[in-house]
Amino acid sequence: MEFAIISTLNGVTYGLLLFMVSAGLTLIFGMMGVLNFAHASFYMLGAYIAYAVSSLFGFWTGIIVAPIVVGIIGMLVERFLLPRVHAHGHAHELLLTFGLALIIEELIKLFFGDFPVNYQMPDALRFSAFHIFGTGYPFYRMLIGAVAIIMFTVLWLLLTRTRTGIVVRAAERLPNMAEALGHNIPVVFMFVFGTGAALAGLAGAVAGAFYPTNPNMGLELGVIVFVVVVVGGLGSLKGSLVASLLIGLFSSFAVGLDWSLAGALDIVGLGDWARSIGGLMTLELSSVSATIPFALMLVILLVRPAGLLGERN
Amino acid sequence: MTSMRNIFIIAVILALLVAIPPFLGLGWQNALVNVLIASLFALAFNLLIGQAGLLSFGHAAYFGVGAFATLHLMLAIEDGLVFPTPLLPLAGALAGLVVGLIAGYFSTMRSGVYFALVTLAIAELFHSLAPHLEGIFGGEAGVSSMRMPWTGFTFGSILEVYYLTLAWVVVCGLGLWAYTRTPFGRLTLALRDNEQRVRFLGYNAHSAKVIVFAVSAMVSGVAGALQAISYETTNYSLFASGVSAQVVLQTFVGGSTVFFGPVIGATIFTLFSFLVSDLTRSWVFYQGLIFVLIMLYAPTGIGGVVYHHLRHRHQIDWSKMAAPYGVAIFGGLLIAAGTVFLTETVGILFGQEYAMARQTADMGFPAFELFGVAWQPAGILTWLLPAIALAGGCFILTRARRQIDHLWAQAGKNGDETANSATDATIAGGAK
Repeated sequence: MEFAIISTLNGVTYGLLLFMVSAGLTLIFGMMGVLNFAHASFYMLGAYIAYAVSSLFGFWTGIIVAPIVVGIIGMLVERFLLPRVHAHGHAHELLLTFGLALIIEELIKLFFGDFPVNYQMPDALRFSAFHIFGTGYPFYRMLIGAVAIIMFTVLWLLLTRTRTGIVVRAAERLPNMAEALGHNIPVVFMFVFGTGAALAGLAGAVAGAFYPTNPNMGLELGVIVFVVVVVGGLGSLKGSLVASLLIGLFSSFAVGLDWSLAGALDIVGLGDWARSIGGLMTLELSSVSATIPFALMLVILLVRPAGLLGERN
Repeated sequence: MTSMRNIFIIAVILALLVAIPPFLGLGWQNALVNVLIASLFALAFNLLIGQAGLLSFGHAAYFGVGAFATLHLMLAIEDGLVFPTPLLPLAGALAGLVVGLIAGYFSTMRSGVYFALVTLAIAELFHSLAPHLEGIFGGEAGVSSMRMPWTGFTFGSILEVYYLTLAWVVVCGLGLWAYTRTPFGRLTLALRDNEQRVRFLGYNAHSAKVIVFAVSAMVSGVAGALQAISYETTNYSLFASGVSAQVVLQTFVGGSTVFFGPVIGATIFTLFSFLVSDLTRSWVFYQGLIFVLIMLYAPTGIGGVVYHHLRHRHQIDWSKMAAPYGVAIFGGLLIAAGTVFLTETVGILFGQEYAMARQTADMGFPAFELFGVAWQPAGILTWLLPAIALAGGCFILTRARRQIDHLWAQAGKNGDETANSATDATIAGGAK
């Protein structure tokens, strides 16, 4: 019972963090079809900028400045770099962002070194929200989750309930028609890309104070955010929320479970045979927890490329 | 005529590759082995993106599988199996082919960005599973073995390994090249240009793509096998996304539209890491910068640019062209110098050693040494010099570029065809 509750709590907060990072990617991928390989780098950039700013002007200034700076960087990338390679197709756009990811990572190593930096939440936020099974549950984890939920609500309302949302969705579906109606589509795209980057920056600034801030954090999340976006569905905000929670819960539960294929085969009496084969058969679920998201992505890509809640196939 | 000259050029290069290495030091011989392996890997990778238009982000999987299969065969030979050492890469080829057939069957069900994502997922599966499957991949420690002597060869020296690698790379490279000349090679190009039409012509596009994928994976497996033979050990880090990333970088910097373009990229980057990684910590940064600049300004890569010039060599008045080209190169060098200076300065000022030097200097800003000269961190010259180099270089390069574009446009008017690099690039893949 204790394991189940703690795992659920951790899984939900990790899932919400994943959602924070991938929300921007969902927006960009869904809107423009650009698979932004540099997205997790924007997340990392957010954490590092927040660290640098907060050490001079305090924690909250860092949280506010980081997403703005990262958003501006995103807009510059969309405005000046992506159009140059657009004529050569999606592959080149993807490659460009891939190169940018490499550059951002190396720049961060250049300025901040090849080791984790001491980016911490202020002491005022360092307390337990509630006690469960004798241990305190950090308030900051709840804060990360709350930011993610606010992010989702605001984005969702913005896209579905406002005029801006209509223009943005129109720019996605029928760019020529929207342009003919007098909307400046390049500017819309620039702002969407900037917003996506800013969201990643915000996620980095908020989460970086709790999780380690190091030059590998982009690489660690880099592929998993693709998993979220793909599993959730192309451009579906709700989908990526569901997928994030799913993956968060999966990974937090899998860590504590020693199930294996051999164990499953015990039920039909083939357990010993499976154990004699070894290899995949005796791998415990806890040791393959890192594999599950990729397997999930593979299955989704092959069975239903539109994703769980995506509309188009 | 052209083909005769091509054969002559290839023969000269081969003769050099055979004749020179015995006179080089061990470090260089080792570097050349790595260049050859990287070249073959990039050629195999480019079969997919350059010929079939499929961008794989997980080619480390087939490279790694080839390496592990070879090491297991080497272990079996140590245990008494009779097998000629020079044929070891066959194990890599077989493993690459089998895994490539399976992975290719699934990944080619999708196209475009989704294809890239499937290949990425497959490679990540390997990477995350490998350390847990000790029987096959040896856990975290990996698998190690020794090269066994065979008839007169001991394979104890790097030079022998070099010649073995060279032989395999030449055979596989020429084989891949010959493949592009076959009817099936033509069909591969058609898959890239218009898949729908291929289907209407009555071909099974999916199985054709699976075959291309499997061939590419097979040759990647050979490259992995050669690496396993040269290092005699490997572990699961061979499946890391960085390995897949390197081959993408090398191929596109070299030029994916020209058959031997990837070799240029692989050679440049491998030698770059051999020569520069000792000099500076930031060599990966320069590598990324080179890649992004090439993507932005020369999407067909170095090979594409060279090929473009070779094609139009009779249309251009080189006497007029030489001056602006020289100026452009000068501008580029200025920019490079400015960038390197700034990067290294930042690297030093934000480095740990400088932090320690500041502590001994009572938190002041002591001078630092770069290129054998002492610079003041707050000095005007320290920042003015790179700024002038960057601004001046940009100015010169932009002007020269405009002039060059103008001359090319004129050459295009005089010649039979327009000097359009994009159409050139498409032709380059097929007509070569």
